[in-house]
Amino acid sequence: MSIEGQSLQEIEIDRISKWFGNNKVLDEVSLSVKKGEALAVIGPSGSGKTTLLRCVNFLEDFQQGTIKVSDEYIGYLQDRDGTGSRQRQPESDIALMRTKVGMVFQSFNLFPHMTVLRNITLAPTRILKQSTQQANETALQLLERVGLKDKADVLPASLSGGQQQRVAVARALAMKPKAMLFDEVTSALDPELVSEVLDVIRELIGEGMTMMIVTHEMSFARAFSDRVVFMADGKMLEIDTPVNIFENPQNPRLVSFLERFRKSYKI
Amino acid sequence: MDLIILSLPLFMKGLHNTLLMSLGATVIATVLGVVFALIQIFGNIFFRALVEIFLYLIRGIPLLVLLFTMYYALLYMGFRIDPLVGGTVVIGIYFAAFMAEVFRGGLLSVARGQWEAGYALGLRTKGVVLNIITYQALKVIGAPYVNTVIMVVKGTSLVAVIGITELTFVGRQIVERTLEPFLIFGVVAGIYVVICYSLSLLARYLERKIGYVN
Amino acid sequence: MLEGLTVTLLLSILAILFSGVWGVLVLLALRANQLFRVVGRIYVEIMRNTPIIVIMFFIFFGSGILGAPMTGFAAGLLSLVLQNGAYIAEIYRGGIQGVSKRQFEAGMALGFLPRQTFLLIVLPQAIRKVIAPLGTQGVMIIKDTAIVATISVAEMTFQARLLADRTAAVFEIFIALAGLYIIVTSIFNLGVRVLERKYGYKN
Repeated sequence: MSIEGQSLQEIEIDRISKWFGNNKVLDEVSLSVKKGEALAVIGPSGSGKTTLLRCVNFLEDFQQGTIKVSDEYIGYLQDRDGTGSRQRQPESDIALMRTKVGMVFQSFNLFPHMTVLRNITLAPTRILKQSTQQANETALQLLERVGLKDKADVLPASLSGGQQQRVAVARALAMKPKAMLFDEVTSALDPELVSEVLDVIRELIGEGMTMMIVTHEMSFARAFSDRVVFMADGKMLEIDTPVNIFENPQNPRLVSFLERFRKSYKI
Repeated sequence: MDLIILSLPLFMKGLHNTLLMSLGATVIATVLGVVFALIQIFGNIFFRALVEIFLYLIRGIPLLVLLFTMYYALLYMGFRIDPLVGGTVVIGIYFAAFMAEVFRGGLLSVARGQWEAGYALGLRTKGVVLNIITYQALKVIGAPYVNTVIMVVKGTSLVAVIGITELTFVGRQIVERTLEPFLIFGVVAGIYVVICYSLSLLARYLERKIGYVN
Repeated sequence: MLEGLTVTLLLSILAILFSGVWGVLVLLALRANQLFRVVGRIYVEIMRNTPIIVIMFFIFFGSGILGAPMTGFAAGLLSLVLQNGAYIAEIYRGGIQGVSKRQFEAGMALGFLPRQTFLLIVLPQAIRKVIAPLGTQGVMIIKDTAIVATISVAEMTFQARLLADRTAAVFEIFIALAGLYIIVTSIFNLGVRVLERKYGYKN
């Protein structure tokens, strides 16, 4: 469904709004993520940043707006010229689109009844119809990349949080996604385990993976992301390079947010 | 005493029918229970409403009343269906309501993150349920399932009042002949206890197994 | 059929109240000395694994043989209390285990004897926690009252059967009967929910 001259944008979020009852959790958010760009999303709790992320792979529905990944709509289709109302995609198409976007969750969500290897190969074999041998090979390569090749045949319960999260990254990468979504992936980890996960993400950035990272790790965002977006109350309030966001914040809410962080986190 | 020994073959027939009915009703209840549970979780509003109303009604009526209704229905139709089969089906449908609750509870007990991780990878609902959820749900379902089976076994005793030759009915017949209610009903109770207690031990074993995972 | 309703209601209320109380006694027995615990456990397991109709036949026909025949109502009531008392004792036990040990310690610290602490502090809290399971058990009791129809007690189901044997309007009768049970159990459920809101604790 792509037009001639493919866009440079991997993810295009166009004026999406979401209500939970009377509560507007996303307010006309528009955002584009370029191919190869690492976009960090920061903001206070309840700002809608996680909800926004989950809209990109349609784990959350949204009442207004559209989202495109790799030039294809996910969730809702819209007429080519943007007129007319949007149409909900059939479930099978939504599932297909989700294979193009990998997600890593705050609580890892590894499948406890499967080995690490099986966790990674389940989707490639079932959805991409890869052969077991092919899937296993890819999985082992990915495990090697995240430094866990020797844990291929253990159950997740015997791994530390940091190890489980690294497996979760490998599981998402096994589907060869066009973009990765990281939802506060280090927030549930003990401090000493955080860096092993951030190292993996940093390597991915170095390899040019497009990604949106919702995070509280300000120093990481500052050092390694290409752009940072600040959200509060469901709105996108400021978006700029890391240097500008952290050294030269314009929006007053951003200023006070960073201030609270400086007190405890020393950026 | 001789009367008792003479009654043994009748006794065996009763026991045989009880076991047969228990098995049949359990199968029916399990299959229907799965269907109801899936409709309750995944079905559209219309079917979900139908199922929920049906289950609510069934849970408010005694099994005995349903059995009587079936009995009189069969009477009117001239017993073209064997009451044994009819009784088994009614008991099966009745306990399907309980089974549905057990299965639904089991499916919903699996953490939401497991569902989301499955969907995020691009699996459809069927794939998520079959590969990821079912195994985890079974651990929670095991013990309550067996407890419901125990209820089914006890439920089969009610068909005695519509004249079906199962264990309790046979017990009553023998007591009428031998006038030894304590002995005969004691034995009948004893047999039920053996069957049901064994099942309850299984249930307790299954319950311990979940604790291990947690 | 409506005269039968009165009998059904009477039997249900008595059975529920008495089994509630008997359940407490069974519970206490299970916590007492070794002998009571063994006897009690056997009693509970027998009651839980025997169909109620067999218990009713045992008591009803048994009492006849002993020369002191009980009425169907009495035999039915006794059976219901014996069986459901056992179930309810287990429900109480679950509730007690749910009450924090600290409550017990607090009572002891104030100077209460263990038995007093249990009766005055722990048990009341435990009962409030298990209002919902008790409600479910109550519904089961109401439904089980139908079974006394088999020992000739003139309650709802018995009356319905009588009518059905005489008249031709069988379906109407049983639909009405089913309807009555649904109304009774629904009202009971509403009552339980009200109780839960007033007295219940959430974990």
